[in-house]
Amino acid sequence: MNDSPIVVENLVKYYEGRCVLDGVSFTVPRGCIYGLLGRNGCGKTTMIRILLGLEPPTRGRTVVLGQDSTQLSANTHGRIGYVAEGHNLIQSYKVRRLVGLCKGLSLQWNEEFFGHLLETFRLPMDRKVKDLSAGMRAELNLALAMAIDPELLILDDPTLGLDTVARRQFLELAIDVIQRQGRTILFSSHILADVERIADRIGVIVAGKLVVDCSLDELKSRIKKLRVIFPGPAPDDLYVTDIVNQQKQGREMVLTVANWNPQKQAILETFHPESCTELPMSLEDIFIECTRPASAAVPPESEV
Amino acid sequence: MLTLIRREIRDNLIYVLAPCVVSILTVGILVSVFLSGIRAAAIPFAGLMLPVLFLGFGALGSAQMYGDRTNRISPLLSTLAVTRDRILAARVLTGVLAVLAALVPVIVASVILLQTFLPPFEFYRRMVVEVSVTAILAGLACYCVGLLVGGTTSRAWLLVGNLPLLALCASLLLVKGFGPDVMLILVVLIGALLVRTWLRFTTASL
Repeated sequence: MNDSPIVVENLVKYYEGRCVLDGVSFTVPRGCIYGLLGRNGCGKTTMIRILLGLEPPTRGRTVVLGQDSTQLSANTHGRIGYVAEGHNLIQSYKVRRLVGLCKGLSLQWNEEFFGHLLETFRLPMDRKVKDLSAGMRAELNLALAMAIDPELLILDDPTLGLDTVARRQFLELAIDVIQRQGRTILFSSHILADVERIADRIGVIVAGKLVVDCSLDELKSRIKKLRVIFPGPAPDDLYVTDIVNQQKQGREMVLTVANWNPQKQAILETFHPESCTELPMSLEDIFIECTRPASAAVPPESEV
Repeated sequence: MLTLIRREIRDNLIYVLAPCVVSILTVGILVSVFLSGIRAAAIPFAGLMLPVLFLGFGALGSAQMYGDRTNRISPLLSTLAVTRDRILAARVLTGVLAVLAALVPVIVASVILLQTFLPPFEFYRRMVVEVSVTAILAGLACYCVGLLVGGTTSRAWLLVGNLPLLALCASLLLVKGFGPDVMLILVVLIGALLVRTWLRFTTASL
């Protein structure tokens, strides 16, 4: 049993001459729910596809459950549950036939759990997949991925197309899966509130680079958003490093700084601000700050 | 593997059954030709039916690969406890079974008819073996051409690409006839086509 079900080392992927992933490295520890965030087209799906061996990397290496992704054995594939973006199901099949196929090609099949999921999602077995709604297809894909009792669950925007109730059900199921010992989840999503609810580690990809890779708590503690009021016009430069974003209007400056520490506080104090208030930041706020075009994202901790 | 072969057969049922139906019709017509006494008509008739069967094998190979791509079957299968090698192996085994299921009845019927109606010369026996093996190899070659061409995303190339390659196989038989030379060429051709298909299938993005 390896301690890191997912290891990505200096992953580079060029697609039609365009660099989609640029030296991405990270590790997902066992039992972790890793939330992968990024704007559309930033390379999240490509990375997941490379992890699963569906796409060859241009450079670098990805290891899943101890095996190189380009050479995953059937046994390793059988220990990975995957919900694809857009739900890659065979559209011309009836649900019953698709379930039969997946069951026949699985290493293990938890009939009881699958039955429970079918009941929860109220999936019709005698309808063709193409006749299901987008939400139902998402639920079917999720049920199929979870029925194999996966050691590693990879979800590529799984709640896309689900209504609020189904989304809530999905999140509860994900939590249920993680509670089974040793289960690991890597999931990407656009719904940041979902990620915030269940993820305990976050990775943010911006233009093919992984600009954030830390625990959710650490991310929240490292990034501060401050509203500073100065006695006169706000200064042009605060001489503080790791400024992710700053906006000034008259005497007021709203500042987002990474790796906030007493030294930075002391530098700010030299400008004798009238007030300095910390603004609460949700994951969504942090995400927007980090993915802003001019943003320097979250640099590793520095001295000042 | 059985699940994968079953899936291949069910998904391409028309392409698997059509050559078998043509084969059964061929056997029926051959028997009636021999029984009616106009045995000389059997050879041109077989010469007409074989290209139809070979075209069917090519269509089966193309349908398997093209259907896989358009219905996005392999991306789903590859995320289950299956490797791409196994998916392709199941596909090729299905094709081989279809070729044998279509050609073996014709071969068996021809052998029985020849033994019954023609004088028992050693020459005929050797000829039957050579023609049978060459026909099976040519059928497999046509199927492999279909597999390779079916990997395309273009429907036009799917239709156009099959024909010259199948014509090449047919002209090989017309020029060289049935015999050990052709068998060797066909074995090499099948090997090359399978290796190319395997390389393309196992390294492509799904």
